[in-house]
Amino acid sequence: MLRDERVKHAFIWPALLVVLLVTMFPLVYSLVASFMKYRLIPPTPPRFVGLENYASLLGLERFWTVIGTTSLISFIAVAVQYVIGFALALALHAKVFGHRQLRVWLLAPMLMAPVAVALMMRMIFHPALGPVNHIFSSIGYPNLPFLTDASYAKGVLIAVEVWMWTPFVTLLLLAGLQSLPQDVYEAAELENATPWRRFWDITFPMLLPISVAVVLIRLIESLKIIDTVIVLTGGGPGVATETLTLFAYQEGFRKFNLGYTSALSFLFLIVVIIFGLIYLAVLKPRIEKYR
Amino acid sequence: MNIGSVKQFGPTARGLVLGGVMGWAFLTLFPFYWTFVTSFKNLRIIVKGPTYFPFIDFQPSAHGWVELFTGVRGEMFKNLANSTMVGVSAALVATLFGTMAAYALTRYRFRVPLAAGLAFAIIAIGGYVGLTELGMKRFEAISLAFAVGLAVSVVLGNIKLPGPLLGNEDIVFWFISQRMFPPIVSAFALFLLYSEFGKAGFKMTDTYLGLTLCYIAFSLPIVVWLMRDFFEALPPEIEEAAIVDDVPVWRIFVQIVLPMVMPGLAATFMITLAFVWNEYLFALFLTNTTWQTLPILVASQISQRGDEWWALSTAALTAIVPMMLVVWLLGKLMRSGLMLGSIK
Repeated sequence: MLRDERVKHAFIWPALLVVLLVTMFPLVYSLVASFMKYRLIPPTPPRFVGLENYASLLGLERFWTVIGTTSLISFIAVAVQYVIGFALALALHAKVFGHRQLRVWLLAPMLMAPVAVALMMRMIFHPALGPVNHIFSSIGYPNLPFLTDASYAKGVLIAVEVWMWTPFVTLLLLAGLQSLPQDVYEAAELENATPWRRFWDITFPMLLPISVAVVLIRLIESLKIIDTVIVLTGGGPGVATETLTLFAYQEGFRKFNLGYTSALSFLFLIVVIIFGLIYLAVLKPRIEKYR
Repeated sequence: MNIGSVKQFGPTARGLVLGGVMGWAFLTLFPFYWTFVTSFKNLRIIVKGPTYFPFIDFQPSAHGWVELFTGVRGEMFKNLANSTMVGVSAALVATLFGTMAAYALTRYRFRVPLAAGLAFAIIAIGGYVGLTELGMKRFEAISLAFAVGLAVSVVLGNIKLPGPLLGNEDIVFWFISQRMFPPIVSAFALFLLYSEFGKAGFKMTDTYLGLTLCYIAFSLPIVVWLMRDFFEALPPEIEEAAIVDDVPVWRIFVQIVLPMVMPGLAATFMITLAFVWNEYLFALFLTNTTWQTLPILVASQISQRGDEWWALSTAALTAIVPMMLVVWLLGKLMRSGLMLGSIK
């Protein structure tokens, strides 16, 4: 039974006020700016231009390239994270040897600073002096341009994303596995269902709701990728690995083109929302089926 | 009982599972190990190609660490101190405020008319645009528009209005949805807002207050999300008994509820600390020299000391080691079996 007293306001207002001040402020500010022609350097007085910023972005080829790169990296990375993360969660749940220690230390990558991880990876993927080159050289492919060739660089960025965030998928799916009711499995045991059938008929469907949530969170977070990109490739070669956030950063912080950057940010937000809505629309009926 | 255990599989399958898990564990831990040994290498060893075992295939030297601790180059200690101060205080305040909000949202009923929320949005945006058009300074315009919008929506929230009502779930969703916005939107706008503060005579960019406030706000959604799970797993009977005994609400919260969710509180604090400690984008926009944090310095190593791998390694490890401590503490909490909710 939920209580209803005036004291509830004392509990919620500190948090509410901070969030309103710090996150709604900028939102209003940049929403207004996105409809203006507004530069800081050279300083020009803001002038209302309607949808001009949005229109010129949508007509820009670089914008679409950036959208393509960002979605390529996030979709592949999240798909791989989900598969590996699920497999790891199953193994840890099945009490594989050393699972107590592994459960903790396998989480390490996701709590590390992305810039520090990127620094480590830059050394590891060094085309001449790194260990990855060592392996590829020993099988006959020496000095691959891991960070200076467009496709290799994207591959490395995906690998680093997978390395960092697979633990997140494992953590949440493991929690999900532990909350599954045992009696369903006991019934399956009586019917002599194979482990394979048990996975596809019980475990996977029952974990679908949490899977949907995990993938959505990862997808949204992944589309924001910038830290590792700045350190690993700086968006290069050329603009081949430039992501949406990095593009916005370049426009905003290097050119101080305020109206343009704001419009870009809101287009970005719209992209995230569209992806999210499509994703939920496709998966909602399937989740409902298993509720 | 063997259900769901590896024991249900044959020896081959068990071998494959173990091999796969150990392979992933190796991939996870190798970069840390490699960075650690690299921090003991010098230029001569590095240019010879990858070496893996100190004393066996290269002679380690501690010059990288000596450089770091004597502060020959870079200002590692200042940035470390900044990161620690900002991280700990932001995580503390965010955990406190967020826990209070999460408690209110699980134990009390909230009914906010949608109209009140809309009124706030309209007055805030419209007021800001209108007042700047009338020639008011941006800082004053936005402050006034927000204050009026907030006041009007609070008043509207307390009178009965037609239209849909927002319940607890909607408020929680509003909190969490803050994390959906691309941080670049907020970072850049916050930078401009802080600059406006500066013009009005109140310096916010590159200050302790500015950076910490920003981190508190962006950590709160995580705290509310995590702590709500812990409170929902808590049986309300004990609190109800205390209410019957006329114990004041703040004493129930501090003396009964908080001790019961202590492990969850500790975990939430550490996750928040990790988020703030590792954050890069906001620090990049909101600081320049005085309050620069560790990630900014770590990222700048690549352009300053690209070939000096011992320096890159010690810099990366300085950012990583405290978080390893956090991982270890989280592991202890998990194993103590006291954690409920979303992270068991």
